[in-house]
Amino acid sequence: MSWAIVAVLAAGVWVQRLLGMFVGGRVLSRQPALGRLATLIPAAVVMAVIVQLTVASGRSLELDARAVGMAAAGILVWRRAPFVVVAVAAAVATALVRMI
Amino acid sequence: MPVMADSSAMDATTSTGDHAASGPRWGDLGALCLTFFSLGVTVNVLVLDRVGSESLTIVAAVAINSATTELAYLAVRDAGGTQLAAVIAGWVVASRFGLLAVSLGARLRVGTWHRAAAGLQSFDPNVTWAIQQRQPRDVVRVFWRATAAMHLGWLSGIAVGVFLGNVIGDAQRFGLDAVFPAALLAIIGNLLRRRSGALAAAVGGGLCLLLIPITPAGVPIIASLVGAVVALATMPEETL
Repeated sequence: MSWAIVAVLAAGVWVQRLLGMFVGGRVLSRQPALGRLATLIPAAVVMAVIVQLTVASGRSLELDARAVGMAAAGILVWRRAPFVVVAVAAAVATALVRMI
Repeated sequence: MPVMADSSAMDATTSTGDHAASGPRWGDLGALCLTFFSLGVTVNVLVLDRVGSESLTIVAAVAINSATTELAYLAVRDAGGTQLAAVIAGWVVASRFGLLAVSLGARLRVGTWHRAAAGLQSFDPNVTWAIQQRQPRDVVRVFWRATAAMHLGWLSGIAVGVFLGNVIGDAQRFGLDAVFPAALLAIIGNLLRRRSGALAAAVGGGLCLLLIPITPAGVPIIASLVGAVVALATMPEETL
């Protein structure tokens, strides 16, 4: 990674964020029928990120200690545990499985 | 169902309270700060190891403002990919921030410069918390509070990762790599309690799972957008 590459990567990320805000966001706010996408997009996209971080290893799928940590997190979220409890429990569960 | 001018605001509230009514509590913001601190440490230890320059690592972390982009770029280079392929992978994985900016943009009632600043700071936690607020001023307040908590953690994480990285040791041994996805799950927890949100997440997550082995990095995340469209199309009136 060079200075030029950092500039190119940053430009691509900035442009996408601004396009989303000024183009996509305006379209959604002017189309009541599409307004609900504002809450549905994070549900779908963030869940995909969670899946990727939990079971992906490059382009292969792997069930390992991370899945146990996320199972613990899932139960705690379902039981409405505080945010910090969820995060710490996931780390502890994952670390414990790796120790075994 | 009561008729409201802003149907997305109605949809964004939940019957459970939690973050929906008053936004994240100080404890939640502290936990978010710690989450981004651990992310900042783990990511920047990795980046510094590859680029070998403290100043470049710090500038990359702050300017690109997307850990996933940095990791995707490095992963493709490590696998022997060209600069062009690595840059494209970095851009594609950042597309989720563009999608989150769409969500935030739909709920934000502020001027152009404020919109631009908020757009450039669109991340998963701050957008997800903000769009669950009913009042436009609460959307703005919650967004910037969460953004401040994230950056406090991210910037201090960069500093520790870059200057003290070698004393932290193997972050995976402590399960720190599980903190970020767990935190994300807690943040979308309220959205999952509604049938439309649960359907969007199930379709989006399931599609991502199917596509990970057969498509390039980033594509499974973009494809998850289909989950939101399916939920919109099949549950148009749900308000819960």
